[in-house]
Amino acid sequence: MKIIQSNIIKMIIAITFVFSTGCSGFLEEDLQGQLVGVGALNSVEGLDAALTGAYKGLGWTWSMGFFHATPMGATMGGDDITTHPASNKQEFREFDQFAVSPGNSRTSQMYTGCYKAIQGANNIIENYENTEGAEEVISEIVGEAYFLRAFSYYWLVRLYGSIPLITTPNFSEELLSISKTAPEEVYDLIISDFEQAELRLPNTKKDPGRPNKGSASAFLADVYLTMGGWPINDPSKYKLAADKAKEVMDNRTLYGFDLATSYEVLWANDDANLNLPEEVFALYAYDGVGQTMNAHYGFASMPGEQSGWEDFFAEINFFNDFPAGPRKDMTFRTDFELADGRTLNWTELQTRHPYYNKYYQAGDKKRWFSSLPLVMMRYAHVVLIYAEASAREAGSVTSGAYNAVNLIRTRAGLQALNNLSVDAFLDAVIDERAWEFAAERTRWFDLVRLEMVEEANANKNERDLNPIGTISKDDYTFPLPITETLNNPNLE
Amino acid sequence: MKLKLLKTNSNLSVGILLLIFSCYSGPGTYAQAKSNFQPHEFPAYNDLGKENDVNELPILISGKVMDGNGDPLPGATISVQGTSVGTVTDIDGNYTLDIPDEAAVVFSYIGYETQVIKPGSQTVINVTLMEDTSSLEEVVVVGYGSQTKSKLTGSVTSIGAKEFENQPVTRLDQVLQGRAAGVQVTNSGGAPGGEVRIRIRGANSITGSNDPLYVIDGYVGADFSIINPNDIESLQVLKDAASTAIYGSRGANGVIIITTKRGEPGAIKVSYNNQFSMSEVLKRYETMNAATFAEVANERSDATGLLPIFTADQITGFRQKGGTDWQEEVFRRSFGQEHQISVSGGSERTTFMVSGNILDQDGIINNSGFKRQIIRANIFTKATEKLSFRVNMFGSRGENTNTSTIGFGTGSPLVQALAWAPTTPIFNGMGEYTMNDPVGSVKENPVALMYDRELLEERTTGNILGGLNYKIVDGLSLDVQYAVNYFNQQNKYFYGTFVTNRNPRAVRGSSEQITLQSTTALSYKKLFASDHLLDVVGVFETQEFTNNSFSATANQLKDPSLSFYNIGLAGSFNVNSAFQKWTLMSFLGRANYSFQDKYLLTVALRRDGSSKFREDNRWSMFPSVAAGWNVADESFMQNQSTLSLFKIRGSWGITGSQAINPYATQSTYRTDPLVSFNGSGVVSGIMLGNPGNANLRWETTEQSNFGVEMEFLEGAFYFEGDIFMKSTRDLLINQQLPGYVGSGFITRNLGKVDNKGWELALSANIFKSRSINWTSSFNISDVRNEVVSLGGVADRIFTNTNVGAGMSTQSEYVVMPGNPLGSYWGLNYLGTWKPGEESQAQAFGASPGDSRYEDLNNDGAVTSIDFQVIGAGIPTTTLGWNNTFQYKSLTLNVFFQGVFGFDKLHYTRAAAISGSADARQPVLKDIQNRYIPGVNETSDIPAFSLTNLNFTQSTRFLESGDFVRLKNISLSYDVPPVWLKNAAKLSVFVSGINLLTFTNYSGIDPESSSVNGADTALGVDYGAYPNARILTTGINLTF
Repeated sequence: MKIIQSNIIKMIIAITFVFSTGCSGFLEEDLQGQLVGVGALNSVEGLDAALTGAYKGLGWTWSMGFFHATPMGATMGGDDITTHPASNKQEFREFDQFAVSPGNSRTSQMYTGCYKAIQGANNIIENYENTEGAEEVISEIVGEAYFLRAFSYYWLVRLYGSIPLITTPNFSEELLSISKTAPEEVYDLIISDFEQAELRLPNTKKDPGRPNKGSASAFLADVYLTMGGWPINDPSKYKLAADKAKEVMDNRTLYGFDLATSYEVLWANDDANLNLPEEVFALYAYDGVGQTMNAHYGFASMPGEQSGWEDFFAEINFFNDFPAGPRKDMTFRTDFELADGRTLNWTELQTRHPYYNKYYQAGDKKRWFSSLPLVMMRYAHVVLIYAEASAREAGSVTSGAYNAVNLIRTRAGLQALNNLSVDAFLDAVIDERAWEFAAERTRWFDLVRLEMVEEANANKNERDLNPIGTISKDDYTFPLPITETLNNPNLE
Repeated sequence: MKLKLLKTNSNLSVGILLLIFSCYSGPGTYAQAKSNFQPHEFPAYNDLGKENDVNELPILISGKVMDGNGDPLPGATISVQGTSVGTVTDIDGNYTLDIPDEAAVVFSYIGYETQVIKPGSQTVINVTLMEDTSSLEEVVVVGYGSQTKSKLTGSVTSIGAKEFENQPVTRLDQVLQGRAAGVQVTNSGGAPGGEVRIRIRGANSITGSNDPLYVIDGYVGADFSIINPNDIESLQVLKDAASTAIYGSRGANGVIIITTKRGEPGAIKVSYNNQFSMSEVLKRYETMNAATFAEVANERSDATGLLPIFTADQITGFRQKGGTDWQEEVFRRSFGQEHQISVSGGSERTTFMVSGNILDQDGIINNSGFKRQIIRANIFTKATEKLSFRVNMFGSRGENTNTSTIGFGTGSPLVQALAWAPTTPIFNGMGEYTMNDPVGSVKENPVALMYDRELLEERTTGNILGGLNYKIVDGLSLDVQYAVNYFNQQNKYFYGTFVTNRNPRAVRGSSEQITLQSTTALSYKKLFASDHLLDVVGVFETQEFTNNSFSATANQLKDPSLSFYNIGLAGSFNVNSAFQKWTLMSFLGRANYSFQDKYLLTVALRRDGSSKFREDNRWSMFPSVAAGWNVADESFMQNQSTLSLFKIRGSWGITGSQAINPYATQSTYRTDPLVSFNGSGVVSGIMLGNPGNANLRWETTEQSNFGVEMEFLEGAFYFEGDIFMKSTRDLLINQQLPGYVGSGFITRNLGKVDNKGWELALSANIFKSRSINWTSSFNISDVRNEVVSLGGVADRIFTNTNVGAGMSTQSEYVVMPGNPLGSYWGLNYLGTWKPGEESQAQAFGASPGDSRYEDLNNDGAVTSIDFQVIGAGIPTTTLGWNNTFQYKSLTLNVFFQGVFGFDKLHYTRAAAISGSADARQPVLKDIQNRYIPGVNETSDIPAFSLTNLNFTQSTRFLESGDFVRLKNISLSYDVPPVWLKNAAKLSVFVSGINLLTFTNYSGIDPESSSVNGADTALGVDYGAYPNARILTTGINLTF
């Protein structure tokens, strides 16, 4: 009996062992296929992959970033664009009528996208020193990372004012209770980042969708211009803006920048013909893959009669006051051909507003997606920054300033400016910016920095939406998305 | 060697100690049910006849033991009352036994009524034993063993094959529905082969699955949807901690143990069933015809200062020629059939059961359907008296066409059928599908969605388990089993030209999952001093799961007719692959002790280790204890005969859940971002994903249960009631992170969820006579779920479903302390502003006729801050009521199911009537009852106006989903055996499923839901595939 029992016990142990496959190793987690830790950035390929991921935050269609009319919504407070009065455009209307709620998903998608790009850039900036590879290649990658971080913070600080300032990519519990940082400090980082980018970026763009040294300088000029106005209100910045803009203009051949010969060329919107010299920096898209489609061109800016979504179109007074000429003809679409052959004038449309021809796809393709890039800054911006900044800084108008503004006016088919007082000149330049960059996410920011929001929205056409309540400085920036304050009450 | 082992690893030594402590001559993990049970309950009787001196026993009796049908009963026990003298019948039911003078002989067999006979002068005693209708001796399978019902201390519901044999059930959930108190079964996806939600005593987990654990023949973690109900011998639902703690880490949601049929020794038995069914949609929405739609659309333009959309001529045209009835195009009457055959038999030594099942069911939405084939073979052989082997194999293949949840929400043909304008034709002038609806929807053509899109999912499973059972010595046995489960899923998706705006794409995905499980059990059962019964088992189990998957997407297909069969010809491609693995190791032991069958005690302990947690938190211990008192067996209860069973029992235990994905403790990168830098191609990159949490540990549920069981009048009436309380702590919650840290979420153990409730089960043989029989069973359960705390990390957590599509500005669901899981989040709709309230309305920028919402914080504006908890998605009460009427050869079975206490967010209606989402114009007839100034000033449907705010995420579209449904009614007729020359048994049946529904819900089906699997987001109806009304007919043939 005892022998049987001991044999049995041995058998039990043996069987147990057979089936336990080694106690200690059996329960260790198998991480095959998982990419974990900073080691991922130790090679140039890894660092570059991280850079690609950083760009992703700025454009993930329908999820985050700028590819789907989010920035159009954010800038609807300007008098150049508006949206459908009924229909499913509730969130766009909140911007147009100055009643933006924290739950508005349009702002939160841009906000999330910018911070995702910032996280990606922080990761590169913090870890590139451990990367092994050619120094110049690594430096260029780091330059792009600085550019992306500055670009993202520039959008965030303009839209939201005080924001959380994050320079580390890693999550930690302390981050969940930080407070907001005032705009001044954010601008300090933006400037130093664009300067780093200037040092590291090459003169020619590696790809059409990447910045070059000129892009960084151009944005720096724009940042200085903005800092001259609300809320920073530092007039000493206008000189820096003028000098920087001039530097870009003087080196435009080096950077490959130039004005398009005509608006037909500029707004041809042909998928097959991209990378125009007028693009200082653009976010590139590709319609072959869902997450990279640009949703601005096509249905978003077409009326329902042409199967469009009617997301955004022109405010009537703005259209009426716009000077006639080749630019106006290419900017707006006033006659619409229907599927059954009829043609309607904009006054006969359901929505009774003119639409933006700038956002029609070549051949009036009836679809919502395209591979067209979203141009974040044009060379024309640089030129007009120079005109405005030099006039503000000098207190008088130089010939350089006249030349600059007239470059744009001549292309637009308008008479050249001459012999104006500084104030009249400045008014003319601001108007020129409004017309040149209609619906290009510029007008709103001009109104904010020059504290002209109330004035511009005071006399709406009877068929345009009116502001809800009175406009105050609180309406110059938007509330942080509700996800932020819910998780961190210190951000209220 | 032994000593070294004991020193090196403490867990292994614990395991060995447990194993040494347990001996039981019983089946270990493979358990058997009532009719096939080998009588090992009282081993003392089996061989002890040899131990007595024959010389002292003067009388030799012999005879045959039979059952009520005259069939022999092999293995019946014949014993001398009050002694240990006894024997068992052989395969022909014959026995011989030497007995003393004046002895009373006891004839017994499990499941049959015992008889005591005093032989007197007879020496040949033939006995007929009648089946025991009382449930006292019913054998119930519990984890890793079995017990008779009378000795059970836990809360277990047992369902035998007989209870559902006569109903047309094609899947396990139909067997469970309404038959077990506390088990809530919801057909949340009405598609054939569609989703089912099964919950036992409420939902504990926020992130993890709340599905119960399915154990099939000892294989833990099976997929219930591929079990052929015809293969089921019996089913046990383990509900309380005492029963489920033995499954430790995965038992927190309840356990369903399924035992499949084995062959019986004797002649070969063949049975063939078939059924043919016809299905139709339960009901349709009432939509306007083209002319009325056009008129209403014009009225809306007028009210909002826009020009009319349709001309008078067009409207007259619609009136004469009509328009498109989209619902008519989407729904159809569909057919299905199922064939099932099983062959079983064997010898005394080896038995087998082989079965096959083919099912082909078309869906009620055009071009959708489900096909399934299952084959099973169970073989059991007794090599020697002590050693037996078993091999169970089954394979299954299922093909789902267009029933996938990918097609739900705005991609659902049903949603688009209620969004597309009736004035838009299906085909344009050139014979192609109309791609864009100029007036109504911004999404795809519903008919194109059905025919120009194909979502095919093929699932193949192969499962084989092999085991041996060895009786080491008297009372001690070892059971070893190894199981391999292979699962392969192939996804084939094609999106054609007309559903992608001329950008067709195709996807091929593949996933191969292999699970290996080993179970070693040592059990011991002994009766000491005829009063103390001890039944102990110790088990060591391991499980390993691996998933290798990949997927390839081809965009901009150059030739869409090649579909997913050839995706090489395309403009661009994305490919990715993934690997996932987890392992689990467990040690467990359980001891059952009963004193005189009156006082019962069960103690169990389980220890699990999982690879999903880091070292410090890897292991967890799950204890449980249960006690019971068979009051009816007490001496003071012997003088009455009304109450044959009266048991009081209580239990407490801890179970756990490791309901997270592997790698949650790691911060991994996302590798799916793609960026274009030149407009003609993409580059892949990496992005930081969700931060990992190295401190993750088990989610634990503590459960207490108190129950009473009573049986009256020898089984004529049975009552069982339980009250329970479950408390889950260290809940695994995905806390959403703010955008500035990179958004995403982090998994944490926080918070506590409670489920409290009660269950009642009643069954009665109301009327019993020779030709008429009426039995009824009723069960009801009520569970109250409450989120008790979120660990102080946040005062609420949102779970976004993404079903909303332009209608939800925030997450539709919230997890907030003081409310149940799955609480709806939205605005409180107060109807419309009425005449006389102009000034109040003005304050909000509205006028009479506009929507009025509650301004929670009184800030004079209706914003996201005014959102609050507005309803509950998870039902609180479920009941089932089954009646069987038998008249001679006719049997009528009527089954009602009721579900109460939940709300549904009716987004399908919201989209179709508000015209403020992806459907730009209202299509439902009800819009004609809106508020119209001067015409209808009492309606709560808002008027067409420029100032109206349409928040669809509000109580305006929240409806009570409570319903009672005649789930199943079936009539079957047993054909008289003489017609078939007594060679076979044939019955014919006809039945209806979902014939009647009583509910106030205005949608098609209160049971179906658009979001499946998540209890935190249950009840949104946005194009959910509705259940159907089905008529079936078929035959059952056995010979």
